[in-house]
Amino acid sequence: MLASAGITGTIGRALLLVGLIGSVFGAFAAITGVRNNEPRVVRLVSRFAVLAFASALGAFAVMEYAMITRDFSLAYVQKVGSWSTPALYNFAAVWSALEGSILMWVLILSGYTLAVCFWMRKRLNESLAASAMAVMLIVLAFFFLVSFFPANPFALGAPGVLDGPGPNPLLQNHILVMFHPPILYLGYVGVTVPFAFAIAALVTGRVGEGWLIATRRWSLFAWGFLTFGIALGSWWSYEVLGWSGVWAWDPVENASLLPWITGTAYIHSVLVQERRGMLRVWNISLLVATFSLTILGTFLTRSGVLNSVHAFSESGIGAWFLSFFAVVLVVSVFLIGWRGDKLRSPGIIDSPLSREAAFLANNVLFAVFAFIVLLGTVFPLIIEALQNRQIAVGAPFFDRLTVPIGIALLTLMSIAPVLPWRKASAETLQTRLFWPMWSGIAALVASLALGAYGLAPLLTFTLGGVSGGAALRQVVLATRRQGLRGLVGRANGGMIVHLGVILIAVALGASNSYSKSQELSLVVGVPATFAGHSFELTDVIEVRDDRSVSVKARVIVDGDKTYEPAITKYTRIGMNVGTPSVKASLTSDIYLTLEPPVRQDSNTARIKVFIKPMITWLWIGTMLMAVGTFLAAFPGRRRRPTDATSAPVLVNEKIQN
Amino acid sequence: MKTRKSVWLAMLLLVCLLLAFGATRSGGPQTQQDRIDLVTSHLACPTCSGESVFVSRASAAEAIRTEVARQVGAGIRTDDEIISYIEQRFGSQVLLVPRSTGLDSLVWSLPAAVLIIALSLLVGAFARWGRRTPGAPSVADETLVKNALAEPSQDDNES
Repeated sequence: MLASAGITGTIGRALLLVGLIGSVFGAFAAITGVRNNEPRVVRLVSRFAVLAFASALGAFAVMEYAMITRDFSLAYVQKVGSWSTPALYNFAAVWSALEGSILMWVLILSGYTLAVCFWMRKRLNESLAASAMAVMLIVLAFFFLVSFFPANPFALGAPGVLDGPGPNPLLQNHILVMFHPPILYLGYVGVTVPFAFAIAALVTGRVGEGWLIATRRWSLFAWGFLTFGIALGSWWSYEVLGWSGVWAWDPVENASLLPWITGTAYIHSVLVQERRGMLRVWNISLLVATFSLTILGTFLTRSGVLNSVHAFSESGIGAWFLSFFAVVLVVSVFLIGWRGDKLRSPGIIDSPLSREAAFLANNVLFAVFAFIVLLGTVFPLIIEALQNRQIAVGAPFFDRLTVPIGIALLTLMSIAPVLPWRKASAETLQTRLFWPMWSGIAALVASLALGAYGLAPLLTFTLGGVSGGAALRQVVLATRRQGLRGLVGRANGGMIVHLGVILIAVALGASNSYSKSQELSLVVGVPATFAGHSFELTDVIEVRDDRSVSVKARVIVDGDKTYEPAITKYTRIGMNVGTPSVKASLTSDIYLTLEPPVRQDSNTARIKVFIKPMITWLWIGTMLMAVGTFLAAFPGRRRRPTDATSAPVLVNEKIQN
Repeated sequence: MKTRKSVWLAMLLLVCLLLAFGATRSGGPQTQQDRIDLVTSHLACPTCSGESVFVSRASAAEAIRTEVARQVGAGIRTDDEIISYIEQRFGSQVLLVPRSTGLDSLVWSLPAAVLIIALSLLVGAFARWGRRTPGAPSVADETLVKNALAEPSQDDNES
């Protein structure tokens, strides 16, 4: 290759430098332009935002070019590139290790920065918008800096390398590698936008509800992609990792879950501030927490202090992220303290039986949830630091503590949607909960009839019935009043998201509690049965290609179709990867894995069979959540300012007292 | 209203009874495979950090799975005894569930403490809000309302 002279690396790195300079100058222009009230300087901000985005896009394109042409002059291509990787996986190889994933972060963040700039183009003269742009550009400058120095993807590699190992085998055997990381990043990086506006609100002192309402769709957008990205990750785990589970409580999974938890708390409690002007400090703190948890999560998982299946190799970026995390936290806490007076709100919550009180309870639960996940993730570090011994905190810990939280959240989801603002009477509750309650009883009776047992899953199904009834009630009432418009808007879209969450809770409850598994030693021509299903091995075959040797066991399930669980040895890396084969249905999945040791052309195979009830509903629930989030982003029916928005206060009651 | 109340009581009672029935009902005998899966999901794979033996496909995990399967098959040791046997052989870092003694117990007690503190803050806030009753309108308030009512509304002209 001509490029092996190292030109590609130089061009890429130069583009990163241009982007870095562009974002620093852009932030500078935003700050000085507004402070000195100079529209000409402010106008430069958008030019710098375009420059930063163009250079990030250029750098990413250069990286793709280097990967596609297999330019082994670059250390990164030597690490994850290979002539034998198929084109699609080679394209995705760019984000299959640390440096490239930081580059993708830079690209997405610069895209967000440009989008916010375009959105605010008419209002850049206002201090709030300009300060938000400054925050976005400063964060962007940090990531350009990380990409330029410690995580430089364009570093030159050792000379004379003609081929490499290719990406981690797990990242080149399922199409989801194309979608899961970018979609997750769209969410993970997207929380920067509301965070930037929160900081801008503190800096400018315009801490009212304006910035909050303005950024509502950005928060929803980021939250939606984070949700979808996490769900795609679970699906990937199920389809690829071969242990039949969707969530392993691995540190990297937790790092993506933490901002999701605080973000979910935020999109609920923000409603209280919009409606009642309360919880200002809390909402800003939640945004700060969400953003800083993405930074902390990146530190934990990318610095090598914690190990996990996702963790890339150790690198020097730990100190960078830890320092940035500290700066974000210190600056935010200082600003909140400094604006303390303006943030205080005079409002009070009238009754514990009101929608705003339910949102508060929701936030308490989500805060404890986030604490549990964070503590469990960093606890091995704490013990190692204090007592210099190694411990592990794994799935059984998280399951034991988060199942009660989940059940408490389901309880809240049953009651909260029927609660009016300000104050509910017992009578209102009894009327509104009447049908949801019957739907819960129906769910309980149905699950008992189907043979369900155990308190936790039964509570999940019952509460799933009640909360499903409460959510449906809202959607039905709204569509009856407004036709199809009753499906859009925050409240109605939110209820469709709730329905998705309920399906997921029920699917998790059923599949975690009632999975069955059995290892079968199959011999060709001799059918075996397990849990009412028959399994017959037809043969064991070997499939070779450039990069791997696969041994597949072909198994006929229930005398119908053939399934082919496999073990693939990636010859260049010397790693075995199992590939499960799944017969999916709405009631239960049959999940087959081939167990080592394997020999091709043998007439026996060890197959592990998992029966996973209802797991398909996890994916259906995810789709419903995505649809609901999309509908919630549309404006709902405008409420006339004179309409009553809360339950009437009973005047007589006061007089009698 | 009275009938409603009795219907509600009946519904709650029904739910409690059904839950009690379902919670005590047996889910069928535990198979050997169930025991193997349960024990291995409480053990950390020693070579691959963070994953359980149940999850991991690494050869070290495979070896422990085989050992656990052998012991379950022999039927002498209980689940806990098998776990402590593996712990003795590989060291305490193979335990995936932190102990409830010493410093490790903090991982269990801190979440409980946080929950209690958060809940009591919430209860305290409601108690504070509950005591704060809106005072009688002052003279200034009343004049404000009176003036506002006397003036023709400007809302319709603006916008």
